[in-house]
Amino acid sequence: MSKLIATSAIRGAHSLYNRAEAAYNAALAAKGADEPVSFPDTAYYLPVAYALLAIKVKTLGDIKPVLAKAKSMLPEIPAEGAWLPYLGNTLDSGIAALLSEEIIEAMKYVMGPNPVEGIWLGATDDVIVRTQGIKLVDGSMPGFAAVVGAAPTTEEAVKLATELRERNILLFMAGETDGKTMADQLNEAGVEMGWDVYLVPFGRDISAAVYALGVAARAAMTFGGITPAGMKEAREILMYNKNRVFAFVIALGDVDDEKYATAAGAINFGFPVIANTDIPQILPTGITTYEHVVSNVPLDKIVDTAVEVRGIKIKITKIPIPVSFGSAFEGERIRKEAMFVEFGGQKSPAFEYLRMRDMDDIDNGKIEVIGPEIDQMEEGKAYPLGILIEVAGRKMQSDFEPVLERQLHHLVNGAEGIWHMGQRDMNWMRISKSAHDKGFKIEHFGEILKAKLMDDFPAIVDKIQIKLYTDADKMKDVLEEARAAFIARDERVAGLIDESVDTFYSCTLCQSFAPNHVCVISPERLGLCGAYNWLDAKAAHEINPTGANQPIIKGETIDERRGQWSGVNELVRAKSNNSVQKVNAYSIMEDPETSCGCFECVVAILPIANGVMVVNREHTGETPVGMKFSSLAGSVGGGAQTPGFLGVGRQYITSGKFIAAEGGFKRIVWMPKELKEALAGQLKKRSEALGLPDFVDMIADETIGTTEEEVMEYMAKVGHPALEMDSLLG
Amino acid sequence: MEVKETYNGKIREATIGLGDTAVTVGGETSLPLYMFEGTAPNKPVIALEVYDTKPEDWPEAAVAPYADVLDDPVKWALKCQDEYKADMICLNLASTNPSTGDRTGADIAPIVKAVSDAIKIPLIVYGTANADKDAEVMPKAAEACQGKRALIGPVEEENYKTVAAAALGFDHLAAPHSPIDVNIAKQLNILITQLGLAPERVIIDPTTGALGYGLEYCYSVMERLRLAAMTQNDSMTQMPMINQIGREVWKAKEVKTPEADEPAWGDAETRGVLWEALTATALIMAGSNILVMRHPKAVELTRQFVAALTG
Ligand code: SF4
Repeated sequence: MSKLIATSAIRGAHSLYNRAEAAYNAALAAKGADEPVSFPDTAYYLPVAYALLAIKVKTLGDIKPVLAKAKSMLPEIPAEGAWLPYLGNTLDSGIAALLSEEIIEAMKYVMGPNPVEGIWLGATDDVIVRTQGIKLVDGSMPGFAAVVGAAPTTEEAVKLATELRERNILLFMAGETDGKTMADQLNEAGVEMGWDVYLVPFGRDISAAVYALGVAARAAMTFGGITPAGMKEAREILMYNKNRVFAFVIALGDVDDEKYATAAGAINFGFPVIANTDIPQILPTGITTYEHVVSNVPLDKIVDTAVEVRGIKIKITKIPIPVSFGSAFEGERIRKEAMFVEFGGQKSPAFEYLRMRDMDDIDNGKIEVIGPEIDQMEEGKAYPLGILIEVAGRKMQSDFEPVLERQLHHLVNGAEGIWHMGQRDMNWMRISKSAHDKGFKIEHFGEILKAKLMDDFPAIVDKIQIKLYTDADKMKDVLEEARAAFIARDERVAGLIDESVDTFYSCTLCQSFAPNHVCVISPERLGLCGAYNWLDAKAAHEINPTGANQPIIKGETIDERRGQWSGVNELVRAKSNNSVQKVNAYSIMEDPETSCGCFECVVAILPIANGVMVVNREHTGETPVGMKFSSLAGSVGGGAQTPGFLGVGRQYITSGKFIAAEGGFKRIVWMPKELKEALAGQLKKRSEALGLPDFVDMIADETIGTTEEEVMEYMAKVGHPALEMDSLLG
Repeated sequence: MEVKETYNGKIREATIGLGDTAVTVGGETSLPLYMFEGTAPNKPVIALEVYDTKPEDWPEAAVAPYADVLDDPVKWALKCQDEYKADMICLNLASTNPSTGDRTGADIAPIVKAVSDAIKIPLIVYGTANADKDAEVMPKAAEACQGKRALIGPVEEENYKTVAAAALGFDHLAAPHSPIDVNIAKQLNILITQLGLAPERVIIDPTTGALGYGLEYCYSVMERLRLAAMTQNDSMTQMPMINQIGREVWKAKEVKTPEADEPAWGDAETRGVLWEALTATALIMAGSNILVMRHPKAVELTRQFVAALTG
């Protein structure tokens, strides 16, 4: 805590207190102690005094204890010389300042002049607090800003107001700089003000800033269900504001003592202060979520800084693109004849790459097209397109990069007339003629990604900037970098083994139709639908902490070979409504995991062949187990444990933990050709890792046979290793 | 031999309305109607439907009891209260449905206010389950009846923040509505309570299916919610439940078809009344606490059933 701030705030609190006391004494002398005191249409008395002190002020006489309390919180003004700055003192002086300001304003209602005058709106009634509060709670209004003072020029004031309004941030105004207030400036510029337009001028006096805290205090009492009773509730009200009301103070121009004191009051509510002048900063966090006071911020950066410092999440309601957007358009195909231009798909260099940056390295919201725009492109041709998305977030982790990057496919496809396929540096995109006719440009890719990533992942994406390279030369370096990152990511994923983590994740998304089903997602075993791997589940949990993906602390290892842990058992027991007692993550025969119904493949044992077959959902033909996929699925699914059968995700087949308890990968004796081809690279790699380079060819498929006998004949012919393994049935 | 289960869970009590006419529901300490294993301090209650505009698609049998009041929501509500002795009124804001009336929150606010001021019994206000539209309408509706501690619904996954915040801000209760899905029901309860609404101000709307139209799904979801509440002491399922029975039953083909079209099916009114009463009684057995119904005779039958079971 800066001594300068502390000293100023304390001095300011003294001065506000003196004003409050004088106004009160004057009112008392004129009207007597029984004179009623109230702000209009509120059931919360003087809301700040009520919230913090539980004092219900109804008459002038009731103010006495409030004043006394304010006085008791006034620290001594620190003497020059050796004095240790102390945060507590400053915060106390802030509370004293707010209580004093509220009394100053209340006395205006008693003695005049009425605070409601000209452009000034004075105290806020309860209905407005409730109506606005709903917007705060549902996020349509991400927060509010209390501006004290005036901007250097009228134009800058208008610009600041516009920037805040564009983000649906409510703006409160009070206090002046050199005789001018921001509200005056907006008024001069002919800007309409009022609650409906999110611009609320409270009053010329700095004391009117307390109305903002009155709104905040009532929001906590109304929406937090807190009834003031003492210190505990007062603290709850302050905490409610810190955690849920995303407000901040913008201090414009010179910050005098009374403004410091008011700001100190706001810090008690967890509202940080952003100043455009060079006042001492208080960066370490404590009372506020992040920094307390950030100063010397240029006016055109104030809103971004405030948004960042307060951790405000802005909702983008409509994506500014000339075509429709929605999941309805995801399935669209664009044939060559309907296409205007295309990118990638082996025809031109293209990539998509999302990386994490530091907060300071990102110019939030910036979208840049590096190279020609669409108007310089010719119909029917292929052009380079490199999409570089850079995000920053206090909760962002580099592990989430691929999770977010993979969103790109369905996000870009969501735009009408735009088609996307593939990923990384093997992507392929088309813009249709009709989208081009409607005015779709390269920059709109950026608009879509910016809006949707911010909106869908508010928990991890605080800031985003996007570069779209349409110039092959200029994208070279980034492409190199992206390729290196893809390799590094693959290594990271390959290096992620079950033993290297102590937390798995559960997924219960499928319980809506398989009520007792739980997927246990570990680094080496993804969810059986194939849609959630361990990193996805981890990110999903971060994004939605109460959602379907919950962390599982592995706990004690009960059976290493079969993959059984105490923590996993406990969780499965609880989440399966007690119907599954224990599971072995790596076994198909003993206490296997349950299967819901959306598995990509079914693994089934072929007892005589002493191996297993794998069949994928797309395969419609007969299989050696005597059932087609559809009937197999019927007997495996529903959330029950079915020894001998297992629903799995494709990627699990080549995992090191694939039915490890029964001997693993080498047990596979049959799978459809199509699946073999789809997984060719991975199957080969896994075979080689096991020292069986020709193994893939030993796996039979439907061209060899669809009965267990035919499979066995083939096994004998090729010398399949399963023949030598322990009996599957034990 | 007597075999009794003991449960560690209990359904929360929730109070709708204020003062003498307030209605408390919930509080059961056993599975529904298992009186031999626990207590049920509050009987299931019945709310009668009132619509903000005259319904056009009701079969004759449903129109008859209200023929004189259908175009005046206030008179309609009073008739339900005074003549048919409803425990509560459920005001349906059907005219805000974008595909029919598309009226705004500002349009219907005066109706909500008039009805809530006119009646003594507690009020339920329901939107049209169109998430975006309800997000616009329900805050206005909640404001219009502020201070009445009404039940505001449906709160959907897509708009829970706005609608539940409206209930929170104007001091009402909220009815989260889940699509026959235990997990979403729970998830919504978690989200709503995290928003700050006390669990005592939450009533679960599990989605209602009429007899022959998904009743069994509805029943089994309610049963699972109750099992989780009682046997697993799962706090986020221990809220009372509401079922919108009237509007589901009276659109069933078997109920709407006039006798003239299907003579073999018999008298249309008897058919409708039985259909509604049967649906209601089944749902009482599944644990319903608030039954929103339409036909006074069906209400009468349901009351007799409740009396017979609960003494
Ligand atoms: S199959 Fe997929 S969505 Fe379903 S529970 Fe498992 S991981 Fe979750």
